[in-house]
Amino acid sequence: MAELTDIKNELIRAEIDEYVGRPDERERLIAMFASAGPQMQAISAALIDGDHATVDGLTREALAAGTTALEVMDDGLIAGMALVGIKFRDGVIFVPEVLACARAMKAGMAHIEPILSASGAKPLGKVVMGTVKGDLHDIGKNLCIMMLRGSGFDVIDLGVDTSPDTFIEAVEEHAPDLLGMSALLTTTMPNIGRTIEAFLEAGLRDPDKIMVGGAPVTQAFADDMGADGYGKDAMACVALAKSLIAEGTGARV
Amino acid sequence: MTDPMTSRERVLAALNGMPVDRPPVVNPGSVMTVELMDLTNAPFPDACRDPELAARLTATGYTELGFDSIQPTSSIIQESSALGCKVQWEGKDNWPTVVMREPIFRHVDDIRIPPDLLEHPDTQCVLESIRILRRRFGDEVAVFGKAQGPWTLGYHTFGVEPFLLMAYDDPEATKVALDRLKEVTVLFGMAQVQAGADALVMSDHATGDLVSGDYYRRFLREIHIELAKRLPIPIILHICGKTTDRMGFIAETGMAAFHFDSKNDPAEAMAIVDGRIALMGNINCPDTLYAQGPDAVRGEVLRALDAGVQLIGPECAIPLQTPIESLLAIPRAVQEWQAAHDANQPLTT
Repeated sequence: MAELTDIKNELIRAEIDEYVGRPDERERLIAMFASAGPQMQAISAALIDGDHATVDGLTREALAAGTTALEVMDDGLIAGMALVGIKFRDGVIFVPEVLACARAMKAGMAHIEPILSASGAKPLGKVVMGTVKGDLHDIGKNLCIMMLRGSGFDVIDLGVDTSPDTFIEAVEEHAPDLLGMSALLTTTMPNIGRTIEAFLEAGLRDPDKIMVGGAPVTQAFADDMGADGYGKDAMACVALAKSLIAEGTGARV
Repeated sequence: MTDPMTSRERVLAALNGMPVDRPPVVNPGSVMTVELMDLTNAPFPDACRDPELAARLTATGYTELGFDSIQPTSSIIQESSALGCKVQWEGKDNWPTVVMREPIFRHVDDIRIPPDLLEHPDTQCVLESIRILRRRFGDEVAVFGKAQGPWTLGYHTFGVEPFLLMAYDDPEATKVALDRLKEVTVLFGMAQVQAGADALVMSDHATGDLVSGDYYRRFLREIHIELAKRLPIPIILHICGKTTDRMGFIAETGMAAFHFDSKNDPAEAMAIVDGRIALMGNINCPDTLYAQGPDAVRGEVLRALDAGVQLIGPECAIPLQTPIESLLAIPRAVQEWQAAHDANQPLTT
């Protein structure tokens, strides 16, 4: 089993030591970073530090040196975001810091995505996402989309203020495996339930396919509204999407 | 037991830390609903833009629901609209919203306060509604004004994401932006004082869902102290989300009350503020008021009162589809609690 000292990058070592308390997560992160090369660790460290210029430069260098796009994404960018996600979930950092890290990840992904798209790799699943009608707050939804894409999902982003009809049209057009919707305001949260009702009325509701989130949304509210899953943050969203896909029968939303 | 008070006396006494005949029921956020719009023939968005319709819909908080305060600001768009932000007005069943994806400021030097800020129809609507309500209800019920604090104005004018990234990348520029934007809060707040508001709700959404308590300390504490000094009526600060990590700072601002969210345990919140500021809230809107109904509402009201929360009300603006029955359950539970309290017979939830 890998030890913390097997990680060469000092910042990553210190961050795990200070901020990752859960034994299973600690073990997973140590194994992940210890197996990554120094260049990938440097990309992760710059991302954790919110330094988009350095991530941009290191990603270019790594690809130019022959490291595969998949390796840079998994061992550099996603690995870094995994630690960022834990710090956010545990209240060590907040949205401004996450946005800075997300900006760094985007800087790296700008080089990676064209290569991966051209490779024709099969996505883990297709997800349609948007904020509900009347809600123009999309930071959380955008973080979820970035993490889902980084984790191998094909995401169709409907943007903000999405009416039930627009969700339904998107599902009919794209036939996704999952539908995600978010609300940031207590005043717009009921539109989650109204959208689900619209799917029921349209005869398009398939079990285990609708996931919801947003700062004031809770598991209890998601259950009340008839959603199939609730994710507290972007990391939980990815885990939920994987779990719903794994449980799914292949049927559409 | 204290002599019976009018609603206005009750609210002002509680805001000033004086004895009350029972804890007041208040609406620092809006309690307007689709049902009440139908009842008064004052639907959104017209009731957000026409002072008479706004006043008519607002009055139902007192006449139909039995709350001790009324406040005619139906959303949080007024100052931002007057600053030049685009507003999506929506229909009867949705709140107007600032279109933050089309920011009007990109740099701190872009910040300009139009000289006719208070002449804009959206700020005028609030001011005229306050005058109408003051004339109509005299000293019967407390009339709350509402102004957005500089942090919220930062979201609206710069966009949420750019504003938060500015706070991360360039704290000094952010402080300058807040310092300039706070003058909007003062202008609109003072105008509402002159229109007859008894107290001013100041929403400044430095919520724990977005930023840490340290952000509040670094960026807002001093500004809020200054605003509490400059605005000559009781100030009620509203911040959504988890806020226990900043309540200690908020308690030191000199504001009269903090309107807090159901994500915070009332007893823990009371312990943190330790009598330095009154607490107001914190009945959950989406789960309890909207989805669960009167029994759950009663339970939350009693829990807040048992913890010592001085003014009871929803945690935030309520969903427009919230049933009236849920809202009526708030004053009913407060009266029940007070009766039991006076008879020295504690209630069980």
